[in-house]
Amino acid sequence: MKTTNLTAGLVLAAAMVPALSGAAFAQDKGVTIVLSEELDLVDPCMATRSNIGRVVLQNISETLTELDVRGDKGVMPRLAESWDMVDDNTWRFNLRQGVKFSDGTAFDAADVIHSFERTQSDANTCEISRYYEGIDLTFTAVDDNTLDIKSVPAQPIMPLLISLLTIVPSETAMEFTRDPIGTGPYTLAEWNVGQNITLERRDDYWGEAPAVETATYVFRSEPAVRAAMVAAGEADIAPSISAIEASNAATDASYPNSETTYLRIDHGTAPFDDLRVRQALNLAIDREAFIGTILSEGVIPAVAIVPPSTLGWNPDIAAPTYDLERAKELLAEAAADGVPVDTEFLVVGRTGNFPGATEVYEAITSMLGDAGFNARLQMVEVAEHEQFYSRPFVDGTPYLVGAQHDNSRGDPVFSMFFKYHSEGRQSGIMDPKLDALIDSATAATGDERVALWQDTFAYLHDEIASDGLLFHMVGFARVGENVNFTPTIATNGALQLADITFN
Amino acid sequence: MSEHVAATVRPHRKTVFGRFISMLWADKFAFFATTFLLLVVLCALIGPSLLEDVAGKQNLRARNAPPFVLDRGWVYFLGGDALGRPLFARIVVAAQNTMMVAAGAVALSITIGATLGLIAGYLGRWPSEIIMRFADVIMSFPSLLLAVIVLYILEPSVGNLIIVLAITRIPIYLRTTRAEVLEVRERMFVQAAQVMGASSGRIIFRHILPMIFPTLVTIATLDFAFVMLAESALSFLGIGIQPPEITWGLMVSQGRQYLTSAWWLAFWPGLIIILTTMSLNLLSSWMRTALDPTQRWRLEIGGKSND
Amino acid sequence: MKNRIGQRAISSLISLFGLVILVFFLSRLTGDPSALFLPVDASESMRENFRELHGLNDPLLVQFGHYVGDLLRGDFGDSLRRARPALDVVLEAFVWTLQLAAITMTLVTIAAIVVGSIAAFKVGSLFDRAASLLSLIGASAPDFWIAIVAIVVFSLQLGWLPTSGTGTVWHWVLPITILFLRPFGLILQVVRGSMLTALGSAYVKTARAKGVKNNRLIFVHTLRNAMLPVITVIGDQAAALLNGAVIVETIFGFPGVGKLMIDAILQRDFNVILAAIMVTALAIFIMNLLIDLAYAILDPRIRT
Repeated sequence: MKTTNLTAGLVLAAAMVPALSGAAFAQDKGVTIVLSEELDLVDPCMATRSNIGRVVLQNISETLTELDVRGDKGVMPRLAESWDMVDDNTWRFNLRQGVKFSDGTAFDAADVIHSFERTQSDANTCEISRYYEGIDLTFTAVDDNTLDIKSVPAQPIMPLLISLLTIVPSETAMEFTRDPIGTGPYTLAEWNVGQNITLERRDDYWGEAPAVETATYVFRSEPAVRAAMVAAGEADIAPSISAIEASNAATDASYPNSETTYLRIDHGTAPFDDLRVRQALNLAIDREAFIGTILSEGVIPAVAIVPPSTLGWNPDIAAPTYDLERAKELLAEAAADGVPVDTEFLVVGRTGNFPGATEVYEAITSMLGDAGFNARLQMVEVAEHEQFYSRPFVDGTPYLVGAQHDNSRGDPVFSMFFKYHSEGRQSGIMDPKLDALIDSATAATGDERVALWQDTFAYLHDEIASDGLLFHMVGFARVGENVNFTPTIATNGALQLADITFN
Repeated sequence: MSEHVAATVRPHRKTVFGRFISMLWADKFAFFATTFLLLVVLCALIGPSLLEDVAGKQNLRARNAPPFVLDRGWVYFLGGDALGRPLFARIVVAAQNTMMVAAGAVALSITIGATLGLIAGYLGRWPSEIIMRFADVIMSFPSLLLAVIVLYILEPSVGNLIIVLAITRIPIYLRTTRAEVLEVRERMFVQAAQVMGASSGRIIFRHILPMIFPTLVTIATLDFAFVMLAESALSFLGIGIQPPEITWGLMVSQGRQYLTSAWWLAFWPGLIIILTTMSLNLLSSWMRTALDPTQRWRLEIGGKSND
Repeated sequence: MKNRIGQRAISSLISLFGLVILVFFLSRLTGDPSALFLPVDASESMRENFRELHGLNDPLLVQFGHYVGDLLRGDFGDSLRRARPALDVVLEAFVWTLQLAAITMTLVTIAAIVVGSIAAFKVGSLFDRAASLLSLIGASAPDFWIAIVAIVVFSLQLGWLPTSGTGTVWHWVLPITILFLRPFGLILQVVRGSMLTALGSAYVKTARAKGVKNNRLIFVHTLRNAMLPVITVIGDQAAALLNGAVIVETIFGFPGVGKLMIDAILQRDFNVILAAIMVTALAIFIMNLLIDLAYAILDPRIRT
């Protein structure tokens, strides 16, 4: 009946003391990497998802080929030693010999075939399969170490396409696995859900042994905390911190993160069905005003939806110069022709899409207002954003969608169909000429491919003012002083432990 | 019976208002709290009409302008935000939304919660059971899910935010009221009123409500603060009020990323939240004394009991 | 008492079922999880496969039927995103939340009752003012703000505590301190207020008039009578903590139910949302039973 009874009654388990087992932070030759969100899955066939890729890609699971992101060697060998085109539709890959998976089984052509079939299975929802959508691919093992891939239609960039396919042993079940087996230099040693993931170096890796012996991944969603962890020595690498935090030149480095921000315009709704209105919109945005203020110094005004390092990026296109008077004139001209330029429309932005997103969209909305547009900002969360972004579009008030698109794969093909083709899910354009350009560029090879993509970008930007392109963005990584690591354009989606060395 | 007697034989020397002021003056903390709150209410009422344009005007050159510099005009004396908008003007303008959200949510939840609590406590077992199960459902319904549902299906407006926050706060009033009613109804004077044949309504409004009122007021003023903080937490998670609408909570949330480089972005709105919350609380503890017949003498003898 | 608990369990089960129905249908009004699980450039056939695989193509009532059927067999379904049983995911997280809540509430209850009672006994004193004011400042600031400032000060500048995460006992200090502030401020006020009322009430006056000099006796007696509203508030605060401390867990990277819940809600992982609700509801039910028990012990009149 005394107070002790009360408290004892209320507190469920006072005796329950948290597990006090200590976890050492920096072991010898160990690194701790702090990621922005917890991993839901570690399945290799999901490695194209940014945070999964940073753990799995080329660390646990490898690919036949690999895009060189540090130099300009293009597609490089990994599990395939060489490849060539047998005929227009067939590519032959010669596989590396003597490679073993971490479960001890040998790597051969059957594993590649199984890995591909697994992405196509109905028993899972592998996201890699989206890159092979609409292509009829046939994998044939010529012998254990030789593989033919036949495709209809022809795929001139097959070596690049195949760089996305992570290889699992043929024993792997079709369902998502939580114990990924790969040929990579590391194995998944421990996964304490919610807390950390630990990779350990393998002794029987086929290639050169990396310097890092163990890697521990932890997850913090607040950018300030990620930055603080490296500063406090609790983590060695934070691949993504915000530009505001990145103030220490000794540890913080920027890298083009292959993201491009833009305002998607639906050409099918008034007033944006008029070219002059779209041009006015572009002229009304003072892009320079954002650089070094809300966004960091490193961002560059975008002239295409893919970053400059992409094949076929057109260096001759100039970003629109801010010209408020010209924008007003164009609007007045359009209005004189009966275009309803004063129609209210929404600028739809996604909360937390990139650091400073809200401020950027607030500023753009206000700039559009200055030019005479009737714009209203609406910030939404991720699911609602998807509704606005993808077809079928939301009825009612016309809207622009502020979005960020990531293409670090080196070729525009991974973007153009979805964003600009009449049948693309996020495309606001129905233009047969554009469709033809995209189709022919997709099928072309070599210099012709470069030229066709350049034409496509010029057409989009200069002739039809396809969208309100904003910036090629940069990311910021903080790297502790004990380790050496230079972030690259691939750091958005992969983080090869082999690239890390110790000081 | 002593409470009841004390309540009826109070001195009638001054007018009600005069007595109120002198009792307020007796507690200096409460006096300043009231003054501050009146100022906040004033901002909420007329702030937007005076400063709305200034608060929305972007000026990237004044981006993150430091406070206490008067070069850009007096509205910048608290500094500028990430888009160079004067923080002072934004805080004044945001007072309206913030007050509307908090006051609306508290008023709505206290009305519904206390009514249901009175019914649950006063009426028989079945209504009580049903109401308490209802409270359980609400208490277990994740408020974040509620916020996302409202955000997704309806628009992220002030009115909808009030509904989200109010619903989540109903159980606390409901349970407190019921608990108090259960206690009070057993007291002698209530039983006496029942014996004398007073109607339920009369008993509830004349005898029970006045007894539980101080507790409800204490909780409501604290809850007012809680709701302001809950609103800022929703902003932190990105599912609260959405720009270009502003509240103090949203300002703190947006400013937090500048904590190490431009502290004032999150500091001023945070400070205002703290001051408002504290004022409400000081006022509530004063009110608790002033409204309690057995405690009121502490204030009426001129605050001698306060150090 | 046993009878009462039985009744309570049945009625709680009814309200839990009501809650499950409500959440099941309302959460499905908030969009298609396939759009969130798959990248924006995934094709319609991939989406179709995702929906088919997770039974999202069936009519809502059929889905609900399946869900309840599975539930009766103890199967809470799989997490859409994690491809593993939703209940496992929730229980793993709940262990963390339970520990956080239990430790925090123990500390809060003890501290608030001690400080609040002393403040009430010495009403108007410097101690009373200082306790009220300081606890209020702590309780009035947005917690994410305090949390980030605390990390900057205690972990970065002073280097006393780890920034975030789990592992050692030191990792618990900051999260628990931040969680402590708000319920402490609130409960302290209620304790103080309740004690004042109880101290002013007839029987304490009578006891004092009768010359009971034993302060301890008065204290215990008063406290017991002042406890009813306090317990209600403690219960609500504990329930809030059991629902997960979203902000603290998010900032400090604590793998609790709050963080799990906000992720599941934002990603429309319906089965995890439902499992989390049921697990927390059970915990809150047990806690409410304990509160009822406390009521009954304190106030025999309620027992009937």
